[in-house]
Amino acid sequence: MDRQNVLAENPVEQGRGFMPAVSVNPSRVLFTAGLTGRTPDGAVAAGGMAAQTSRACERLQAILTHAGASFSDVIKQLVYVTDFDAYNTSGRAARAAFFGAARPASTGLVVRQLADPALLIEVELVADLGGSPQGKPLLEKYNAENHPGDFYQGVIVNGGRLLYIAGQVANNPDGSVAGVGDWRRQAEKVYENIGHVLRAAGATPAQAVKETTWVLSIESWRQHGPAVRRAFYQGDFPASTLVEIQGLARPEFLVEIEVIAAVA
Amino acid sequence: MPYSTIAPAEAKPVANYKMATRMEGGRLLYISGQVAWDADGNIVGKGDIGVQARQVFQNLRRVLQATGGDLSHLLKITTYITKIEDFPAVAEVRRSIFQGELPASTLIVVKNLFHPDFLIEVEGVAVIG
Repeated sequence: MDRQNVLAENPVEQGRGFMPAVSVNPSRVLFTAGLTGRTPDGAVAAGGMAAQTSRACERLQAILTHAGASFSDVIKQLVYVTDFDAYNTSGRAARAAFFGAARPASTGLVVRQLADPALLIEVELVADLGGSPQGKPLLEKYNAENHPGDFYQGVIVNGGRLLYIAGQVANNPDGSVAGVGDWRRQAEKVYENIGHVLRAAGATPAQAVKETTWVLSIESWRQHGPAVRRAFYQGDFPASTLVEIQGLARPEFLVEIEVIAAVA
Repeated sequence: MPYSTIAPAEAKPVANYKMATRMEGGRLLYISGQVAWDADGNIVGKGDIGVQARQVFQNLRRVLQATGGDLSHLLKITTYITKIEDFPAVAEVRRSIFQGELPASTLIVVKNLFHPDFLIEVEGVAVIG
């Protein structure tokens, strides 16, 4: 491992629990799905923000452990909360109990809703695993626990070239919006666009590593999106996060999906 | 620069950014979401999206320059704002700062950022070396 922390010694930065930036040699990189405070039976952990944060971190720890990593190997975290006051009063401390002195690069967002209205926090990570990718498959997709969702909890990229795709929306090549007011058509168009980009980069949907789906309504997405998504991935899903937000670049857009993929 | 730009004929970006970038070597750099903090950690431009956006992109550039890189090393940025009405001002600042094609890009309007005075946060992934 040859992680380098950027501007780590700056006194202003030192007072924060995260690093301005972290660079690594991307020989082996782990991307996790967004993890929440769900218990093994699928219910949301009782006890509010502190309990949900602890549970989410416990699950992330299991995913890291499965890959031979720990919180000190995390290079980036993205924390989504729906109740910022609760995060400040009890979530931060619960998170710190797991991360200790580890300081990844970080982004924090207050969003309208997570996959279940009872969820208060969701956390996704990128971790540097180090070691040689030699002899390993391009992608190792795995779950650290059983779950009914159409995603993997962790995806390891072994030595591939990472592909970062801009958030895809339901736009036609001429700039017009496909499926105005039509969730199903927008879902189809977004995945058509993702497919075009993957093909142009020499990748297939199975080579998607991490997906983030931003929607204006999780309820509407659930009625129309998952069937289109399943047809696209054909069972070979990436790690994923689903978030309900206030808006996208144009008022007509109902959904935006961004994908990280890997090419051998 | 050790990355390729992916530009499929069948799918076009909705503005002046790259559809996708593929890393071809170098080191992978993850940059924290940058907010309108000055060097002393004070929030600048309270209530002023133009001032905040300029500070955010300066901070992003400062992080990249600390690695020996610059904005041209970015593979992708994600811009989070709290009001869609702020987007035109953000787009103007981005145009003046990037002076050409942006990296791959995502724009999201969230409820809030991690301080009530923050109007914009931008995170990036870059390739350096």
